[in-house]
Amino acid sequence: MINWVLVIIGEILVAVGAICDLIAAIGINRFPNFFVRLHALTVGTIGGAFVPLIGIALIALGAEFLGVYRFFMAGASVIAAILLLFLAPVGSHAIARAAHRSKAAVVHPKIVDRLEEDREKGVIE
Amino acid sequence: MGIEEQVMLFITAIIPIFIVSIILYLIRILKGPTIPDMVIAVDAISYDIAVFLAVLAIYFKSPILISCVIVLMLWAYALDIYVAKYLESKEMGE
Repeated sequence: MINWVLVIIGEILVAVGAICDLIAAIGINRFPNFFVRLHALTVGTIGGAFVPLIGIALIALGAEFLGVYRFFMAGASVIAAILLLFLAPVGSHAIARAAHRSKAAVVHPKIVDRLEEDREKGVIE
Repeated sequence: MGIEEQVMLFITAIIPIFIVSIILYLIRILKGPTIPDMVIAVDAISYDIAVFLAVLAIYFKSPILISCVIVLMLWAYALDIYVAKYLESKEMGE
């Protein structure tokens, strides 16, 4: 009984993750510039990788046909999910800061950019 | 219907979604106008392939495949940091 509960909850989480992944993939193709695409990237990171990894861990705990090593699989999935939760936002913030400071990304549909104006006036370094 | 058949059916239904998203990310990698666009697309595709590997580990009943997932995540993080460092100061850091 507990195996069924674990497997069903895990499958729901994996399904949510797959849908988030598809939405992020569509968004990363249709959004107009780099800083908007970053939003789609974070949808694909937390919703599309963290959530299904937790779901994989639950499925592996509940599925007895995987043998003894299913506990290793569940532990490795949880460790990978927690590493991802810490490291992926750090990476996307670093790449966004670098792209804004070095003007590597073209911001084409732009209303106003106060940070860039301040940097040109020399208010901040 | 036992647990094994149900899980196999579910994974068979979920695999095409991952493949379609991988193809969509590949389009952005190939036509991305600037370097940061390609880098975030490579990030997203590595996280996606990591989850796909974890799903395949259940599908093929071989739990040892899961150890590749951690390596893929750390590799994507290292790529982020290196490219950010290069864009800011035009050197890789020695």
